[in-house]
Amino acid sequence: MQVAAPRRGLGVGLGTLLLAALLLAAVVLGTGLGSVTIPPGEVLGALWRGVTRQALEGNDVIVWQIRLPRVVMGALVGASLSVCGGAFQGVFRNPLADPYLLGVASGSALGATVAIVAGWPRALIPVSALLTALVAVACTLSLAREGRRFPPTRLILAGVVVGSVLSAATTALILRGEDRARQVLAYTLGDLGFSGWRDVLTVLPYVGLGCGALLLLARALDTLQLGELTARSLGVPVERLRLIAVIAASLATAGAVAYVGVIGFVGLIVPHMIRLAFGPGHRTLLPLSALLGGALLVGADLLARTTPLSQVGIVTTLLGGPFFLWLLRKERHD
Amino acid sequence: MKGILTLITLSAALSGAAGATTYPLTITDDLGRKVTLKAEPKRIVSVLPSTTETVCALGLCDRLVGVDDYSDFPQQATKLPKVGGLYNPNIEAMVALKPDVVLVSQYGKLAEPLTQAGVTVIAVNPETYDEVFTKTALLGKILNREAQARALVGKIKGDIARVEILTKNAVRKPTAYFEIDPTPYSIGPNSFMGVLLTKAGARNIIPASMGDFPKVDPEFIVKANPQLILGVDAKTAGARPGWSGISALKTGKVRDIPAELNTMLGRPGPRLGQALMGLAKLIHPELFK
Repeated sequence: MQVAAPRRGLGVGLGTLLLAALLLAAVVLGTGLGSVTIPPGEVLGALWRGVTRQALEGNDVIVWQIRLPRVVMGALVGASLSVCGGAFQGVFRNPLADPYLLGVASGSALGATVAIVAGWPRALIPVSALLTALVAVACTLSLAREGRRFPPTRLILAGVVVGSVLSAATTALILRGEDRARQVLAYTLGDLGFSGWRDVLTVLPYVGLGCGALLLLARALDTLQLGELTARSLGVPVERLRLIAVIAASLATAGAVAYVGVIGFVGLIVPHMIRLAFGPGHRTLLPLSALLGGALLVGADLLARTTPLSQVGIVTTLLGGPFFLWLLRKERHD
Repeated sequence: MKGILTLITLSAALSGAAGATTYPLTITDDLGRKVTLKAEPKRIVSVLPSTTETVCALGLCDRLVGVDDYSDFPQQATKLPKVGGLYNPNIEAMVALKPDVVLVSQYGKLAEPLTQAGVTVIAVNPETYDEVFTKTALLGKILNREAQARALVGKIKGDIARVEILTKNAVRKPTAYFEIDPTPYSIGPNSFMGVLLTKAGARNIIPASMGDFPKVDPEFIVKANPQLILGVDAKTAGARPGWSGISALKTGKVRDIPAELNTMLGRPGPRLGQALMGLAKLIHPELFK
């Protein structure tokens, strides 16, 4: 019986290289293209002038202060959601698990909605989103708790319930604050517009901390795939692993969701794509998911900016939905 | 010369024919439905703030028996029973008011349930600048106030012309970005708000090709470098990535729209002239000293 052997022949080293190149290409394209096309030379010039702190000229402001932070934010959020998705799928050994599973997204959305409808300053939106996200996770965990254990099915059910209740509260708030409805709607559909360096720097620690912790847990997650009993007998503290993974992933997801809203399907689909190409081991799955997720979201945002689809969350859902259905059919045939 | 004469005769004939509405009256409303009114409506429910304003401006405020939650002008309308908003209409309340007609917008899907409940529903929904006048006339016909509607249209056009005379002579017409929603959404030159912006003496940075109420890519605004920004407060605008370099921010020409003016600007109704005046004062304060 071979447990950890890659299912596909593609080498991990080559894959890393390819995906890194893909992410780089997405970043370069994302920085050069948009409602204003900026040739690569000018992009490089703008970057150079920014790094060397020279005066910005011409399109430099667009490159340096608008597109680049937006692209970096996209890469960060895409990577974060994908790593969390991969980790959740591993932790719960459930292929449908994703970062929004535990009500994190609906929690964040509720917090952001409260802040937006109340007209709080932009700086308070992520704080509010984070707090409600953490409350949502706490609710889900306490609902799902069985003694010291968190059985996967109960966890997922609790997540669905908490998510639905919070979404209903959000909808009620949107209806009350109709004049800000579009702003809230944009948030719940996912939007990278107006992402600035300050937002990137605010989000970075959450995403870095959360994803970093998950990458450190990769080996333990691999062991968990052998089954809970086996993992336990191999010395993996299963319940504690679950709790830490859930908290780390919630931290990263709440950070990602805080400014750019709810971006669907990335966290669900990217890990599957990586698993199909490189096999299920988490030590490759998580980092490669980060690369692909980043590239995918930057590309999706580029599409959103240059087509009437207008919002990145709409693009990811339009691309992700059919892929998800194809995945379902494929699983059944296998 | 002959053409002008024909025009005069024609308009004379038209105004002569349009003395009083004869009922039953059948019209095609903005949902494309043929609706027949049996008699002059005495009990009216309006679920569109601009329609409420028009009905009152036609001198029929006392025939209104109910309005939507957002109808807040004129003062008299605020005391009427509320029948909900676009997203949460209270159909039972509308039916209970026993209206002769409910004036709805083309959005909100009220026509079908109300019609089934035996209530006459007419969708009147001005969206473009020109429609403000044609729909006012239509409401005049529906409510048997055609002469008043003509007078009202004349008054609105007069109000607008007075402002236009001033702004036409403005030496500098600033390029302007008008934000109606911070996501951000703006207004195209062909929307009724866009027409007002131009008439107020500004040059809209949004091209017609982007549509009437487009979602705008922030970098487009930075690239267009408008000399004036309307609809955002200076602090918010300054905090947006890359915006501090925009001409309007450098010269301090960022103006939030006061709440009352904002309400007027959003309503294609009888206060269009006043809305234009308010907008023109924001754009060209020097002309109104």
